[in-house]
Amino acid sequence: MNILSPVRRITSYVCLLAGIVMFVASLYMDITGVKNDARGTLLVVGVLLIIAGLYFFPTLKHHRTIINILFLFPLLFTFAVTVIIPLLLGIYYSFTDWNGIKMTKMVGFENYAKMFNQPAFIWSILLTFLFVVFNMILVNLVGFLLALLCTTKIKGLGFFRASYFLPNLIGGIVLGYIWQFIFANVVTEIFNQPWSWLANSNTAFMAIIIVYIWQYAGYIMLIYITGLTTVPRDVLEASAIDGANAIQTLFKIKIPMIASTITICTFLTLTSAFKQFDVNLALTGGKGSIPDFMGKYLSNGTEMIALNIYTTAINDRSYSLGQAKAVLFFIILATVSIIQVRISNKKEVEM
Amino acid sequence: MKKKLLATLLVGTMVVAMTACSSSDNNGGSAQNNEGGSSDASGSYDEIRLVNGKPEVDTQLQALAAKYKEETGNSIKIESIGGDTSASDALKGYFQAGNMPDIFVSETNQFADWDGYLADLSGEAWCDNTQYEYVDEKMGTIGYPYMVEATAIAYNADVLEAAGVDPASLTSPAAYEEAFATIDSKKDELGLTAVIGYCAEPNNLGWSTGTHIFAQYLDAGLAADDTTYIDLLNDGGKIDEARMTNFAKFIGMFNKYSDPDLLVDGTYDNQVGNFAAGKYAFVTQGSWIGASLTANENYSGFKVGFAPYAFEDGMDTIIAGPSSYWAVYSEGNVEAAKAFLNWCAGDSAQNILVNDAGFISPFDNCKYEPSDPFAASVISYMQAGKTSGWHTFLKKSGLENRTCQVFADYAQKTLDESGFVSTIGQVIADYYAE
Amino acid sequence: MNREPKKSTLAIQFVIAVCIALYILFPFFLVVINSFKYNTAISEDPIGFKGASFEQFISNLDGVVNNDHFKFWNAFGTSAIITVISLVLLAMFGGMAAWVICRNNKKAWANVIYFIFIASMIIPFQVVMLPLISTFRDVGKFINISMLQSIPGIIFAYCGFGGAMTVFILNGFIKGIPFELEEAAYIDGCLPEQVFFRIIFPMLKPVIMTVTILNGMWIWNDFLLPSLMLGLNGEVKTLPVAVQAFVGSYVKDWSMILTAALLAIIPMIVVFLIGQKQIVQGMVDGAIK
Repeated sequence: MNILSPVRRITSYVCLLAGIVMFVASLYMDITGVKNDARGTLLVVGVLLIIAGLYFFPTLKHHRTIINILFLFPLLFTFAVTVIIPLLLGIYYSFTDWNGIKMTKMVGFENYAKMFNQPAFIWSILLTFLFVVFNMILVNLVGFLLALLCTTKIKGLGFFRASYFLPNLIGGIVLGYIWQFIFANVVTEIFNQPWSWLANSNTAFMAIIIVYIWQYAGYIMLIYITGLTTVPRDVLEASAIDGANAIQTLFKIKIPMIASTITICTFLTLTSAFKQFDVNLALTGGKGSIPDFMGKYLSNGTEMIALNIYTTAINDRSYSLGQAKAVLFFIILATVSIIQVRISNKKEVEM
Repeated sequence: MKKKLLATLLVGTMVVAMTACSSSDNNGGSAQNNEGGSSDASGSYDEIRLVNGKPEVDTQLQALAAKYKEETGNSIKIESIGGDTSASDALKGYFQAGNMPDIFVSETNQFADWDGYLADLSGEAWCDNTQYEYVDEKMGTIGYPYMVEATAIAYNADVLEAAGVDPASLTSPAAYEEAFATIDSKKDELGLTAVIGYCAEPNNLGWSTGTHIFAQYLDAGLAADDTTYIDLLNDGGKIDEARMTNFAKFIGMFNKYSDPDLLVDGTYDNQVGNFAAGKYAFVTQGSWIGASLTANENYSGFKVGFAPYAFEDGMDTIIAGPSSYWAVYSEGNVEAAKAFLNWCAGDSAQNILVNDAGFISPFDNCKYEPSDPFAASVISYMQAGKTSGWHTFLKKSGLENRTCQVFADYAQKTLDESGFVSTIGQVIADYYAE
Repeated sequence: MNREPKKSTLAIQFVIAVCIALYILFPFFLVVINSFKYNTAISEDPIGFKGASFEQFISNLDGVVNNDHFKFWNAFGTSAIITVISLVLLAMFGGMAAWVICRNNKKAWANVIYFIFIASMIIPFQVVMLPLISTFRDVGKFINISMLQSIPGIIFAYCGFGGAMTVFILNGFIKGIPFELEEAAYIDGCLPEQVFFRIIFPMLKPVIMTVTILNGMWIWNDFLLPSLMLGLNGEVKTLPVAVQAFVGSYVKDWSMILTAALLAIIPMIVVFLIGQKQIVQGMVDGAIK
């Protein structure tokens, strides 16, 4: 097909012309505030026509550039509107008195000062760190042990792998409610306890960790299995000839050889534990009492940072404060991620 | 060549754009004319929308809309959302999306959020027949009372009679203590699991303790317009310690006599379900459980009523009044909304609202006897003037999420009575200070 | 040499594996068994078969499916539409963008774009969620098409949020496709778009499988984004939002909640049983890359 053919040329001009007309017309309506239901459609059709016009534009020299732009446009555009603009706006709003609908003035670092004066928020941060540490260790440990079990020669491996992975398929909200039921009705029955683990902050925190391991360990296991199967056969055989027992093989050969897998899994558990929200919301809603923290009685004993941000903004309607907390959360997460990647890169080089 | 083309393009664009705009201008103008022409009271209106916060009466309100259409030829679209407070969140979303309904449900403390967007309804015909409309000093009459709800200690009259307890005598803590002890000793013969179904679970039922039961601290025993304790509370989160101590003692009695399976980790359904099945003599909910009572397959048809939260001697009122109102969006179709509300206060609408939806009517001239099992009891309190206000909805929003945890700790005995008083005082003061 | 493990060791390992499997599958069993019971039967015996009947299951199902807050079929349809369209668009737009970035990797702009994509992957959703809603509201007002409480809006958002990871994974794969293939096509007179759609895109099939599975798991189960954009009580609800709305309403009847949970789980399990191998592979590949 000839890119300079007259048909293409005409199509291009017509599309461009019509597209720009529609685009400008709808913009004009928007700015002047004319109410017309077709405005939105006009705008979208206009943009699509401009894109089509550009695509058919009769040029050999620049066709490549046009294609590059057109190919990048959809993703970059959606990405900018959903991530970049809100991120910049969000950082800006955290310095204002924004209430979700409008803002009246800049308040400087007031929101940031405020959140550090909230024992409840500091508690959420500490709790989140505790949760992350527990999970990083426990999920990796359980996942790794499951992987060892699933790389033995027992029968029905396929079934075991699939069933261990199964909880990972279910969304946090749904499994949060399932476990709420289990803790309130089944666990109390089995262990003959007066009331649900979720009623007390300490046991509720344990409960969240248990649910999280239950959900996540199967996924981590899959990655470890992949890692373990890449350990070369002959190395294992050589060690067996040298008389190494199972434990020695594990610590001296398998673990060092899957160092990169461990890095990946640590990273995965770290970030996902930090962002934990769904299970937290559905299981306890952040409730639980802490009798005395920094001299205050807290009623958000199991509320982790992601949920704290949500309740601050949505339930208490303090949007700018919630946004400031979110920015801090972003900084924490970014720092931890960078440090973690640094450390693990270094380790891998050393090995 | 290229430049010429570009110039033509631009000029063409502008011409088309301008014609497009001027034509749409005309459209806008004529539409406005139409609206202006049809604003007399009995006239016909465009369809309006009502957002209802009580999904349990959706069917009845749809019937109401059909009746309205049949009688006046005007249509209204009912949109039911909610449970708990989520209707207000949905409305916020609607507002932000420019999709506001003409009439919407609002609780008292939510009116302030809509400052500047609510139509003043004073002088409407229905105002003369009720004392329950919501009047704001600044915004005027903004809340249309569409029903009356009550909360107090609901009791199973049959069980009380069998146990020899006269509900009318329950107007002092001592009387309650005695009645609870009597019933507790006869639990087995009365077929009860526990004396009272009180649940302090904070995550799902925090609204019950944090808003409704806390309401009794604010209003029990007071006249309907007495705002002493809510004013104190809203003055930086102060509480009256003596009153709170008595209140705490009373709640302590609930903790002692409540069903242990329900108290700490129960659910609303268990609470109401067990009451319906005759397993509790008392339950700490309000008149809204009437519908689920009659719908429950284990409900034997026993009589019910309300007894006051008499945590001090002589407290003999129940909290009754509209717990939420219908408000009119001032940028919506106000005239049509007003016409609908006037119609709603009339006979055929009240017939549906009272007889089908089971509402207790706030209007004096309503001639229908509500079918709701609690209605007779509520109406007798209303007629005797023994009702207190719903001032709990004026507390700082979100407070209930904090205080409900204190009730939970009290129920788990990690706090004792004095601990409850000092902790709840501290929690409230901290929250107001934030 | 290949020492066979001892029989006793194998037996112990097998027993351990079975025990763990029972522990992990137990909650699923509880969900199923209790959705066959009436509420009171659950509180009497939450573990056993007592009180379970098929009629009760049908009545629970009826109560849940037709519940105003849940509306299973609506929610299921909405979730399915959102997930499928988002996945198709992400695969296509992601492939296009990744290819352009990869083939221009000597140029500064491509590297800048790529770096921004990668860096954005550590942004937690919480930091953008509040302004996202206001941005979408403003954009919606501007273009006069509602971006909130609408399916197109949420698909748009998923394209934005899923873009970075999709480009990242696809980019790694495209790097490995020899450039000679494309050059030959150019010499034959192919245009760049033809090269992409006829040669490159079909070759991406395995890696698109991976991103589709990763994105699919995320989008199908995602709660926070749809709950904020659609609202818990909006006309449009995804399945997780519907479950939350259902449970969050006054209804606190475990037989109903567990039946709703069962309904929400089943589609995912069915998909998993059909494409188990690909899903496991996809999840692992996604993590490793």
